[in-house]
Amino acid sequence: MTNETLLRLGRRPAAVTALTVVALHLGAAVFAPLLSPADPYAMIGFPLMPPDGTNLLGTDELGRDFLTRLLHGGRTALLVAFASGALAVGGGGLAGLAAARYGGWVDDAICRLVDMQLALPSILFVSLFVAGFGQSLPMLVLVVALLMSMGVVRTARAQGLGLMEQGFVKAAILRGETGFSIILREMLPNAAELLAVELALRSSSALLLVSALSFLSLGISAPTPDWGLMIRDGLTSMRTEPWLVAAPAAMISSLVIAINVATEGVAEALGLEAARGGA
Amino acid sequence: MSTTTLIDARDLSVGYEMADGGLRTVLDRVRFGLAPGVALGIVGESGSGKTTLGRALLGHLRDGGRFTGGTLTVAGIDVTDARSVARSGLRGRIAAMAPQNPLSSLTHHLAVGAQIEEILRLRAGLSRTAARDRAIALMAETGLPDPARLARRYPHQLSGGQRQRVIIAAALACDPALLVLDEPTSALDKSTEAQVLDLVAGIRAERGMGLVLISHDLNVVARVCDRVMVMRHGRLVEEGPVEAVYSAPQAQYTRDLLDSARPTRAAPVRPRGAGGPLLRAEALHFAYPEATLLGSRARKAAALSDIAFDLHRGETLGVIGESGSGKSTLAALVCGLRAPTAGRLLFDGAALGALAGRRSREQLRRIQIVFQDPLSSLNPRLRCGESVMHAMRHFLGAGSREARERSAGLFAQLGLEPDLFERYPRQLSGGQQQRVAIARAFAAEPDLLICDEVTSALDAAVQGQVLDLLASMQARSGCAILLITHDLGVLRRMAGRTLVLDKGRMAESGTTAEVFSSPRSTTAAALLAAAHQIERRSTTPIQTLETTA
Repeated sequence: MTNETLLRLGRRPAAVTALTVVALHLGAAVFAPLLSPADPYAMIGFPLMPPDGTNLLGTDELGRDFLTRLLHGGRTALLVAFASGALAVGGGGLAGLAAARYGGWVDDAICRLVDMQLALPSILFVSLFVAGFGQSLPMLVLVVALLMSMGVVRTARAQGLGLMEQGFVKAAILRGETGFSIILREMLPNAAELLAVELALRSSSALLLVSALSFLSLGISAPTPDWGLMIRDGLTSMRTEPWLVAAPAAMISSLVIAINVATEGVAEALGLEAARGGA
Repeated sequence: MSTTTLIDARDLSVGYEMADGGLRTVLDRVRFGLAPGVALGIVGESGSGKTTLGRALLGHLRDGGRFTGGTLTVAGIDVTDARSVARSGLRGRIAAMAPQNPLSSLTHHLAVGAQIEEILRLRAGLSRTAARDRAIALMAETGLPDPARLARRYPHQLSGGQRQRVIIAAALACDPALLVLDEPTSALDKSTEAQVLDLVAGIRAERGMGLVLISHDLNVVARVCDRVMVMRHGRLVEEGPVEAVYSAPQAQYTRDLLDSARPTRAAPVRPRGAGGPLLRAEALHFAYPEATLLGSRARKAAALSDIAFDLHRGETLGVIGESGSGKSTLAALVCGLRAPTAGRLLFDGAALGALAGRRSREQLRRIQIVFQDPLSSLNPRLRCGESVMHAMRHFLGAGSREARERSAGLFAQLGLEPDLFERYPRQLSGGQQQRVAIARAFAAEPDLLICDEVTSALDAAVQGQVLDLLASMQARSGCAILLITHDLGVLRRMAGRTLVLDKGRMAESGTTAEVFSSPRSTTAAALLAAAHQIERRSTTPIQTLETTA
C-alpha cells in the first residue's frame, strides 16, 4: 500500500472508524485470556445473576462469568472464519483464474459446479455434510470454505477474463508458456489486490455463517464459548435478562459491519471499484 | 465582466495535491480569452494540462485539484469559486462537457434516451413528455438515424460513433453557450471521426455556440476550429488563428508537432530477398464462433474472407482499413491468437499451426507482436527489464547474466535510460512503455514483427520517434514487419507495400505509392482525403478568419 493510498484512506472517517473497531475485536480475541476477569469454563456463582461489582455483566444460565465468555466468544468463530476465508480465496481464486485461462470445457465444468452449489441453500448443504461426516472443527472449516469459494470463483473468473484481453497475457500465450506459469506469473499477481478484498469480505460472511450454524447446533459445540451458542442459550431468559442475547448479537454484527465497511474503504482507496462482487 | 468575452483566463494556475502533501503544478499561469461563438482547439501531448484546462472551464477539477492562482471566468461567472458555480447553474446551462470515452461515460443499464431525458428533467425542469420529445429532437440534431427507436437502445447496442453523438446530444441538452469536447474522436476510426467532426462544426455554426475542443490530433483541430492553442507541461506555448499557427508556427514545439502530423515521404520498396516469401497467406477466412446449444459453430458473417498475400524477408507490408475492417483480426491469425476458419498460413515454406499452442517454439520465437495499448502489453507487476529478460531467457535460453547484458543493450538501442530497467510499467510514459514492448519483441530475435496499431495510443510527437526507432531496429535486424494501422501517415512512412482492407475483404493491394497516388477503392480514397485535411488548412489564406464574433 502506497503513501497515497494511506492518505486517501485517511480521508474516509467511516473506514478509519471501522478499521479501529476491527482492530479492537481482533485485540480482544487474541488477548481474551489476559483481559478476562475469570475462567470461561468455571462456574463462579449462581446462574443468571444480574451485573454487579465483581461480575460486570452478571452470570449466564450455568453461573459462568458472562463478560469472560463474551470476550472469549469470538476466538473459535474468528479462527474458523479466517481459515475458511483463506482456503476459499486460495482455492476459489485459482479455480476462477484457471476457468478464465483455459475456457472451453474447463470453464464450463467449473461454472456449472458453482451454479449447482449456489442453487442449494447453505444450511441444507452444511446439514448434509454434518450428517455424512460428523461434526468437527476441521470439517466446519472445510464446509464453510467450500461455500465461500463459490463467489470467489466468479469474481476471480471475471477478473481473469479481463486479464486474458491484456497484451501481456496474450504475449505470454504467444511465447508458448504453460497454463500454470501464465496463471501464477501473469494473472495471479494482477488479481492479488482483488483477492485480498475478497479474503476480508468472505471471512466476514463466513463469521456470520459460522455463528448461524452454531445457533442451529451445526457449528461450534458447547461448552466452547461462542457468540452463536450464547444467543441460543440466552433465548430462554430473553424476557428477564435481555443482555444475554443482545451482547453477543452486538459483538457479531459490529464485527461483520466493521469488516465490510473497512474493506470497502480500503478497496476504494486502492481504486478497486469492482471489488464488491459475487454471491 | 462584459458579455463580449465567453472565456477569460488570466494567469490561471491549477495544482494537484500529492501524497506527500506537496502540490504539483498542472497549469502554470495560462492566459487566454475566447469570444462567444468561436471554436478553440487545445492541442498538446498527454500531461500537457489540456484536459485539466477543459475541466477547469466547468469549475470541476479531478479529486485533489485546486485553483492556485489567477482568475478564470466563463460568461462572467467566476468558476474558481465553487459557490458561484453552484449558484449560477453553470454546468449544463452555460458550459457543458462531453467527456473522452463515450462508453464509460454512459450508464450501462439505462437506455440512452432516458439518460438525456434525465438531464432535461433535472436541469431544465421539463416534464416527462416534454423531456422525451426534446431528447428525440436533440438526437435527431446530432444526426442519429431513427432517433425515436434508438432512444430505447442501451449504450452497448450502439456503435462508437453513435455513442459519441449521444454524448454530444446530452451535452447540448440545456442549450449551453460553451461546449467543451475532450478528445471526442480518439476512440473512432478515420471516416467516423470525419463525420462526427463535421457534425460538431455544423451544430456550432447553427447555434452560434462557443466550442473548446481538446485533442492530441492536429488534423481534428484543423477540421473544426478557428483558433488553436498549443500546450506543453501546463504552459501555453502558442495561441492564434489555426491558419496562422499551422502555416507559420512560432515555437519550435509547435513545428515538431506539425511535422509529425504531416504525411511524410513514401517509404522505400525493398528489393525481394532470395528464396520464397517469409510469410504466405492462402485464402484466409475467419468468422467469429457463435454459441449454439451444444458447443459452437462459425458465424455466417465473416470477419475476414479470401485474404491472400506474400510477405518477403526484410520488407514492411502495411495493412490499412477502418475499424471493423478486420485488420486486427488478421494480426491475431498471423500470430496465432485465433485460428482461421479456412485457408492457411505458410511461414518460411512450412505450414504454420493455427493456434500458438500448435506452433513450435522456434516458430513462436520467429514471429513476435507489439500491441496497440502500451500499458496493458506489459505485466504491471514486473519491472520493465524483467519483462525483456524473461523473453530472452525463454526463447534464447540465455543465462541471467547474458540476458541482463543483452536486454540493457536493447534498452540503449531504443533510447531507453538504463534506470528504466528497474522501474514498473506504470512509472513510464506511453512512448517509453511502447519502446519496452518493442524491446521485448526484439529480445526474441524475430524474423517477422507484427505491429498492431503500435502508435495510435501515443501523442503525435512521440509517434514519429517510435516509428523511427522501429525502422532503425528493422534495418539492424533485417526482420520483416506486418504493420497494421488506420493512419495513412504511419503507413506511408513505414510500408513499401500496402494491403487495403474493407469489411473483411481485400479492397486493393500494391506498392504504397501506387495505391495512394491513384486509389481505385473507395476506402483508400477516403483515407487519402482525411489525411490531406491538415495540408489544406495550412495553405488557406489567413483572410478567412472569423475570430471577431
